[in-house]
Amino acid sequence: MPDKGGYTLGPLFNVVANTAVSWFSRKQKTPTLAHEAPLYASLSDSICIEQVDLQRANSPLFLQLSLRWEESRVGLIGNNGSGKSSLVRLLNGLITPQQGRVSVFGYDTVKQAALMPALVGFIFQNPDHQMIFPTVAEELAFGCEQLGQSAQQARVSALALLTEQGIASWADRPVTQLSEGQKQRVCILSVLIMKPRLLILDEPFSSLDLPTRRQLLALIHSTDMHVLLISHDLSVYADFDRLIWVDEGQIKADGAPDDVIRTYLAAIDKLSVSL
Amino acid sequence: MISLYLAHSSWLHRLPAGFKLCLLAAASMIILPVTQLEWMVVFTLAAALLYVTLGNRGWQNLEMVRPLLPFLAVIMLFHLWAGSFYEGGVSVLRLVTMFLLANLVTLTTRMSDMMEALQPVFRPLQWIGISPRALALAVALMVRFAPVLVLVMNSLDEAWRARGGRKKKWRLIAPLIIQAIRLSDHVAEALTARGGSSGISVRPIETRR
Repeated sequence: MPDKGGYTLGPLFNVVANTAVSWFSRKQKTPTLAHEAPLYASLSDSICIEQVDLQRANSPLFLQLSLRWEESRVGLIGNNGSGKSSLVRLLNGLITPQQGRVSVFGYDTVKQAALMPALVGFIFQNPDHQMIFPTVAEELAFGCEQLGQSAQQARVSALALLTEQGIASWADRPVTQLSEGQKQRVCILSVLIMKPRLLILDEPFSSLDLPTRRQLLALIHSTDMHVLLISHDLSVYADFDRLIWVDEGQIKADGAPDDVIRTYLAAIDKLSVSL
Repeated sequence: MISLYLAHSSWLHRLPAGFKLCLLAAASMIILPVTQLEWMVVFTLAAALLYVTLGNRGWQNLEMVRPLLPFLAVIMLFHLWAGSFYEGGVSVLRLVTMFLLANLVTLTTRMSDMMEALQPVFRPLQWIGISPRALALAVALMVRFAPVLVLVMNSLDEAWRARGGRKKKWRLIAPLIIQAIRLSDHVAEALTARGGSSGISVRPIETRR
């Protein structure tokens, strides 16, 4: 075919054809999986926020905020608008700080943003905002597909996890037919299936009844991942290693759950009296 | 037709999605040239009978034709006005038959299977930079959130009536749009947290015990 164009056009045609073919094949190539080492090896055991400045809606929320922990069960409390949600969104790169740096197990959440979804699992407050597929098995399989499994493999993994949890019959149920508790459970499983190392839960209990709440709490305690839990129900922190109280973008108290809860409740009582 | 997948299994569930879509295309080609009312009636009844074979009161899904009725009435009225009653009957029945058959495929095919069967069709789009996966995701999101938006509309309506609002339901359109935009914000955030539409290409080095 290249000969058709004669002496001068032949090579040109070849170049054009080759470029076109390589462009097409590049477009079709699936990205190969890369494994990255943590940027800060010395911090590889801890979750670390260093001198972070953050503006939200034109007013400063965090000024030189620093926080670091290695404990596997950590709780976060504070009133609405205190900065809890922004703080946890710093940890998976959904929000980037204006100043300072945030690292999770030594991985920089900004410079190594691409691996955050595989490192940090995030459970949102409202399950309806988190579920993106019409049926339970598809919702779970999505995580596996994200990590590079084929559609068939992903479905097998999803069914295996459902069977392990004793809820194999849920597989093809439309998510709209699940109760709030069941929805939340599916959300958690769909994040756990990606095997993150840090699991962040932003008020997961708010719409759950007592039995489901207990069940979810047991699930949280049974994982070997690090857990960061936001909850307004202070009783869930009983077996936690550490509790952090945030108020107006600042750390008000930080330590053993019992002590922090006592300080927090005392502060609230004082506030109610002054009202 | 949205998110009405039947969870129980029937003989139609077990057929591969691609095969069902090809059958649907073939059936449309057979039905399209038919101009005799008697034959159209036979086809419509046959399509309706297929619903019965789904078992577990599958015939109840026939009522999904109901939202179609106003449109069919308009078509029929047009034919009455044009004096072509016979042709009107044929075209209305043809529409009903095709709708029933297409709906049957939706009812018995899992969303992910459907998307997988359609992936080869989407593949050429890859050449102009549109990822078939993102497209499949967009369709799945639409199917997932249509019923959610209906729920949002219902709760807005409840709140409206609880405070004495009666008529003028069009007033709910603005809040519905605002809620929909907020919802899309949340969903986008959740999708980003799980790696976005292009998947995860970089992973941390395994250091788990």
